[in-house]
Amino acid sequence: MMEIIKQVLFAFISTVGFSILFTTPKDSIIKASIVGSAGWGIYYITQLIFNNNIISTLFASVSVGIIGELFAKHYKKPATVFIIPGIIPLVPGAGMYYTMLELVEKNYYAAADKGTETFFIAASISIGLIISTTLSTSIKRVKNKN
Amino acid sequence: MNKNKDFSKNEAKKLLLLATLSGRIMLKNGAETYRVEDTIERICKSRKGVKYVNAFSTPTGIFVSIEVGEEMLSYIMRIKSTKIDLNKINLVNEFSREFVNSDMSIDEGLKRLREIDKIKDYRPIINYFAGGLSCGFFSLLFQGRLREFLSSFLIGFIVVLIVNKLNKYKMTFFINNFIGATVASLTAILISKIGISQNINTMIIASIMPLVPGVAITNAMRDTISGDFVSGLSRAMEAIFSALAIAFGVGLVLNIYFRGIL
Repeated sequence: MMEIIKQVLFAFISTVGFSILFTTPKDSIIKASIVGSAGWGIYYITQLIFNNNIISTLFASVSVGIIGELFAKHYKKPATVFIIPGIIPLVPGAGMYYTMLELVEKNYYAAADKGTETFFIAASISIGLIISTTLSTSIKRVKNKN
Repeated sequence: MNKNKDFSKNEAKKLLLLATLSGRIMLKNGAETYRVEDTIERICKSRKGVKYVNAFSTPTGIFVSIEVGEEMLSYIMRIKSTKIDLNKINLVNEFSREFVNSDMSIDEGLKRLREIDKIKDYRPIINYFAGGLSCGFFSLLFQGRLREFLSSFLIGFIVVLIVNKLNKYKMTFFINNFIGATVASLTAILISKIGISQNINTMIIASIMPLVPGVAITNAMRDTISGDFVSGLSRAMEAIFSALAIAFGVGLVLNIYFRGIL
């Protein structure tokens, strides 16, 4: 439990840094960091349950997308303001690094293994964003009809 | 007042310019193309006398045409050099909402947009510290300890500083990411040689995070979902090539390192 709180806290401060790098508006930095730390928290917890990077990235990116869209609707700002800093911690930088490391050490099987995993993590970020964006646009459409 | 009278041709030209300028600021700072098109169409439609408006945008250009009275006007704008500035997207978004819902004159709107375009982002030193902060805490997420935290902070600071300086020379994103990743892994190896921390993996992973193409992935997906396949594909290409550049940069240094040259 302590470990989860620590991870969420570190992810929060990390996302504050990324938000400043992307020049997020001053009043949205904390909100974007909440999105990022929630995403990382869900990533960490689902990883403990499923022990699978790809599935937990999917869950995390869906929740980043949904929370980002909700915040965007509530604070009347473009959704990307919240989603972009929130999605960065999920991008498989570690996977890219390990793929390259195995390639350099000429462990081609391990490199293919890591590379495929990295590719699928990137794909699951995309699918997560697709799911959340589609959900929010279709909800908007239904609401507009009524 | 403006809403009730028809436009002269001159005013229509200015409106077109205003709409394209607002689209340009958004696109230049990393907005999705459907948002750019939507903003342009909303701004043009908000004034009476515009019979028809259509906008098409890719990450590298904007095409708008409007019909006013008996005339058809169109405008093409090529966009070069993209960077990420979420604040400006937000400001133009607010501006367009205000412009559409009020009687703001077009000259006033143009003035406001030029002011938005001139706003500076955070001071460079704050950016460097933010880079260090994000890298440092990211190393803690990967089971780093205090030593890794401090060294990743330093590496992140240096990487963001160098990428920021390189941006002034208007090189492509590929070169920027390549050099950024090379510097990150070189510094990590240097730190391990000095003996502060032996955990090169964690340090390099944490310090390439400011370079990873998160924006390109997000925008590629959001564009594709909204039906802009050209923009989606071109942004996906950007993401793939950024990732390749980072991998090449890290791989080059590691290759030299493992051969015992460094």
